[in-house]
Amino acid sequence: MLRKLTPYLFVAPLMIFIALFTYIPILASLNLSFREWNFLSPDMPFVGFRNYEQLLASRDLWNSLWVTTLFAVLSVPLRLGLALVIANYLVRESMHVRLLRGALFLPSVTSTVSIAVVFSWVFSTDYGMVNAILGTFGLGKVQWLQNPHLALWVLIFVNTWKQIGYDIVIYIAGLQAIPRELYDAAAVDGGKRLHMFRRITMPLVMPTTYFLLIISVIEAFQVFTIVNVMTKGGPAGATDMLVNLLYEIGFVLFDIGRGSALAVLLFILLVGLAILKSRIIGRKVHYEA
Amino acid sequence: MKPENPILAGLALVAGLLFLSPVLYSIWMSFQTVDAYYAGQLGFTLDNYARAVGQYNFARYLLNSLIVSGLVTLIGITFATMAAYAFARYSFRGGNFLFAATVATLMIPSHISLIPNYLTLAKVGLLDSYAGLILPAISNGFAAFFLRQYIRGIPKALDEAAYMDGATSLQVLWRIIVPLSRPAIASMALYIFITEWNNYIWPLVAVGKQDLYTLQIGLARLYRINPGEGLIDWPLVMAASTITILPVLLGFLLVERHLVRGITMGAVK
Repeated sequence: MLRKLTPYLFVAPLMIFIALFTYIPILASLNLSFREWNFLSPDMPFVGFRNYEQLLASRDLWNSLWVTTLFAVLSVPLRLGLALVIANYLVRESMHVRLLRGALFLPSVTSTVSIAVVFSWVFSTDYGMVNAILGTFGLGKVQWLQNPHLALWVLIFVNTWKQIGYDIVIYIAGLQAIPRELYDAAAVDGGKRLHMFRRITMPLVMPTTYFLLIISVIEAFQVFTIVNVMTKGGPAGATDMLVNLLYEIGFVLFDIGRGSALAVLLFILLVGLAILKSRIIGRKVHYEA
Repeated sequence: MKPENPILAGLALVAGLLFLSPVLYSIWMSFQTVDAYYAGQLGFTLDNYARAVGQYNFARYLLNSLIVSGLVTLIGITFATMAAYAFARYSFRGGNFLFAATVATLMIPSHISLIPNYLTLAKVGLLDSYAGLILPAISNGFAAFFLRQYIRGIPKALDEAAYMDGATSLQVLWRIIVPLSRPAIASMALYIFITEWNNYIWPLVAVGKQDLYTLQIGLARLYRINPGEGLIDWPLVMAASTITILPVLLGFLLVERHLVRGITMGAVK
């Protein structure tokens, strides 16, 4: 009897906490999204789809969706493209390559709040590093974080700076799995380096690219810390990404119903993306060496 | 390894320093007096650290971060290892379903649980407590998945030999599986620790009492409340930022290889 129970006892602690803090909350969010509640009032009446209707009719939601999509569409290809090119150089083994790899990787394990604070200074108007450098070239001061056309680009830059080391490390592992003979054979045929990069490296590293694509898109849709610290979603909503909007509705306005409805929408969006991409990957990626 | 080309090595060093220059400069700035900083002069001081630790309570925040991240890591890695062992070594009714439910957590955006978890902890009175910070973070599906894959690579004959000698399953886990999985367990523990150390949104909503702030919250607040009147006291903020970065930075320098290996093992397998 006890023998049969053994595996259940081993998985129980993990499963209980996963249930309590991951799965039950999904159902709870769904339930709350159909109710009106401000966290204080004694009852929470059922209001049907009203929270969803209000959300979908609000400019804030569409603005957030647009800003977040823009962030993802601009930052993900930038990250992956740069990372692949750099990884292609850093894949060889030598002391200086290892040092450079370490330097590039460091930000990805560093506190995001610290990085956001440091870059708030870097891009600050009067005493910031960037404007100081521009100043030495005789250029005027730019209001990086106060200009609605620039603020999102600053966030993209900071996010890329922080995450690229991770992408590089993953790409290096992917590149190391490509058999050397392919390059040797191509070299014998007189292949140029750029040609080899396009015809051998890029297709063979495709599984890694898809992996990073999934992770970084899902990540991009959940960016919050740099927004909260650097811009609070401003100026004029220019960086008001989805999770920031969720935080504002749920924990500043304490509109639990509408916040939950937004959480459910975000959930559907991201799980949908994940499923869609696993379909695409299932079809397209058969390059395992 | 090939012999070093000194020019390339020099270039790589410059590139690395340039890349990290914002952080390096922020550390440098943390040793400047605020007057010297705004006047563009040099003035070395440790006063920013003294103020951050004393007046601005960063000693307490550091302690809180260590307690929370330490306990999350300890409990999280224990739960994950136990579950991974069962998933790798036992076939039991519902086992596949439970494993699928564990892996699926990797796809679920954590923010959907933000509001419900807040409400749950409010209901049981655990907001503004260490428990409230720790409990939602101790079930790590990724670590369980990763360790399960690793344990499956350990020959089963070792378990069987131990069972022949009369060992219990707990002894097999503790005496055979855990020692043989040490590198994987270490990378996952590190991964959990760093993730929790840098966690921001949960402590932001779950803690209002200043004495329970983690470093991340303390730093964000310090930057936002703008302690210099009118002008931000950047040297003070940078001292606080350096305190926040430092533990992970030191750990990173010690175990960089380990960490990178762990991360790539998880991604490429």
